[in-house]
Amino acid sequence: MLNMEQHRGSAVRTPINGVPVQKRSKSYRLSYGSCLGAASRFGFTPTLTARRFSTTRRVSKLHNVKEKINADQLALLVKMEWKLSYVTPLYQFRHTKLKSYSRQLSVFITAEKQQGLAVDVDRVQNSYRVSFSLVHGMAGTDDAETVLIQVHSKHMFAKKDEPQKLIWSGWLTCMNGNSDYLGSLPKDFICLPLFGSSGPEDLTSLVQSWFKQNFDCCIGPLEISHTSLQWLAALWTNCHNEDNIQHLKLIWSLPVAPPLQITYTVDPQDAWDLWGSVRKGSGAEKVREEEEPGKIIDIDEVMSFMQGLNSHFYKHFRLDLSSGSLKEVATSLGSAKYNGKIKISNSKYMITTLTLLTEGALLKMPI
Amino acid sequence: MDDFGRRLLQRLVRRTPAQALKATLGKWERLTVAQRQSVDFTQPKVAVMEQLVAIFEENGWTVKHITELEMINYMENANRGMWHAFQMTDPKDDANAVEMMQFKEQFKSHLSELVRHVSVKIKKHTDEALWIRIAWGDSYSPPNHLKPTYVVHHLQTPYVFVTSLNSKQKPFLVQALILSTGYQGIKDANLSGQKLTAIRDLLMKQYQQIFPSKYNSPLTEKNETVSNPHIEREQSEHASKRLQMACEAFGDGIVPQLQTAVYKLETKFRGDANTNRTMTKREGPFRCLVKFASTNLLESFRECASSGIASTPVSPLLSSITLKGRNYFVVTENGLPSSQT
Repeated sequence: MLNMEQHRGSAVRTPINGVPVQKRSKSYRLSYGSCLGAASRFGFTPTLTARRFSTTRRVSKLHNVKEKINADQLALLVKMEWKLSYVTPLYQFRHTKLKSYSRQLSVFITAEKQQGLAVDVDRVQNSYRVSFSLVHGMAGTDDAETVLIQVHSKHMFAKKDEPQKLIWSGWLTCMNGNSDYLGSLPKDFICLPLFGSSGPEDLTSLVQSWFKQNFDCCIGPLEISHTSLQWLAALWTNCHNEDNIQHLKLIWSLPVAPPLQITYTVDPQDAWDLWGSVRKGSGAEKVREEEEPGKIIDIDEVMSFMQGLNSHFYKHFRLDLSSGSLKEVATSLGSAKYNGKIKISNSKYMITTLTLLTEGALLKMPI
Repeated sequence: MDDFGRRLLQRLVRRTPAQALKATLGKWERLTVAQRQSVDFTQPKVAVMEQLVAIFEENGWTVKHITELEMINYMENANRGMWHAFQMTDPKDDANAVEMMQFKEQFKSHLSELVRHVSVKIKKHTDEALWIRIAWGDSYSPPNHLKPTYVVHHLQTPYVFVTSLNSKQKPFLVQALILSTGYQGIKDANLSGQKLTAIRDLLMKQYQQIFPSKYNSPLTEKNETVSNPHIEREQSEHASKRLQMACEAFGDGIVPQLQTAVYKLETKFRGDANTNRTMTKREGPFRCLVKFASTNLLESFRECASSGIASTPVSPLLSSITLKGRNYFVVTENGLPSSQT
């Protein structure tokens, strides 16, 4: 079950002043997939693509998220489009040491940026200011608290009294992570598998390499899979009676030369009606689950919904959408792209969306 | 040269690649050979600009001459902006007898009657198309040469192609066109694209078409080493039939390069009646907008059909693009597809 592996952190390129780089020869990683092995409580699922994904989802709307989370932090989270990555568990990461991490990362970025530049040293040292902060009020029962990272900087030729501007932001979160997996991690590991970043890519890779060096983790790009996109289409449509989704937009790409892109935009009310017609309603199943009807969404319902949309399309154009791939889903509540970019425009549904993405990140971690 | 002239010339120079600019100047009869050769196109644009300004000032050329140059440039590089097609309707008896001089004169005089300040330039292109450049003004302001409308019309055809026209100007253009061509009406042809040549070829059916025929093209000899010749034959028959149908619907060889096709569907839900009875029985339309996009849409569709991603025979909605020369459709329950004009 446990995976011992040689340390890969040979990415130390520059001598970094004042950054205690803890070099270890061994790293410890537990595979999420193996944890959910034979004893998995997730049963057999009908579609191949969804084999390892949750087959049911509770629609947990945290309506009071606005009251719980700091307004500025929340505003930042819903304002940006985030590029996602997965992160393996962080070794010896302490939520109590954020202040010192801020200082270390500032120095690290400054040192890296300084390479090959002949500039005034005093000035350069002030040019990047990093702040780590906790985002309270988001985590589920077993989850580690979300961490927000912001990088402020001044333009190279800015005036002395000009304030520093926010040039990069990112966060690490775990939203309702699988409790079996989280519980199985040794004490020294903190699991924040979902990493979102917004800003210049060179800064993203600097922040990531700092994490890799200091917490002995692996970080890699996280795509939003075909199945996740279908889930989001259904989850967002499911919100239409509370918040108008304006439209349900699905972008498909068909593998022909030259590639054919199809944008399928459905009227919100009609999408909602179709969604209502594939919902299993208050049948015997729901009673057995002892849940309020409508609170649990099953993957069968998601698949029927997509099937309905596809067959309506096929009846008109005699073109099979399932031979292509879903690239993007968007409503007024947010947008998600296959290349791992997500925008959550409405804070009410942030928790549901992040839960889905956390699961995707845990699955993407190398076994 | 005044400030405005400088701005206009600067914009033209900045927007055109050096080689295209050289070609444009080469086509302009006003320049002497010596003047033409004196401009060094390997320099940065700023320097080229200064050389041109010097030539213009030396000759006392003004905005009028710059617009001339701009027009030549546009005619040579027509594949930019968004072109919309219009079709004139109800020809009078003399519609086919209109000739160039008559049209030129009439169009100019009609348009200047309708709009107080307007500047019109008409030029004949090598392919017999008439190019019209219109700079619009109104009662209070002079013609705006920074935002000209370009109109392309082939005499003796009902087709007109327009770029950069706003809704306020449209009625004046329509009126002037009708009065000077011998047609009585004009309608939106529901066809638009970045390539003027493509939408023109599609409307005028100037591309290689394949017509349905009873006889399939003879099969090419097949390699005999296949394990089961019957299966192989049947498969290749299917494949060639699909290809035939794909070419019938979307053309053969090089097809007009369209970028998009848009369908506004207002039809009843047509899902699977067995699995989704509630929706198929529902009153009212299932409203959605479908947009297809590709660098060469007809080629993509042709491959969809020949590879089997699209079932054959091709959906009438898709084959309507070439059949009717349109790429915008509103599809309602009665009569597919209908149009909104």
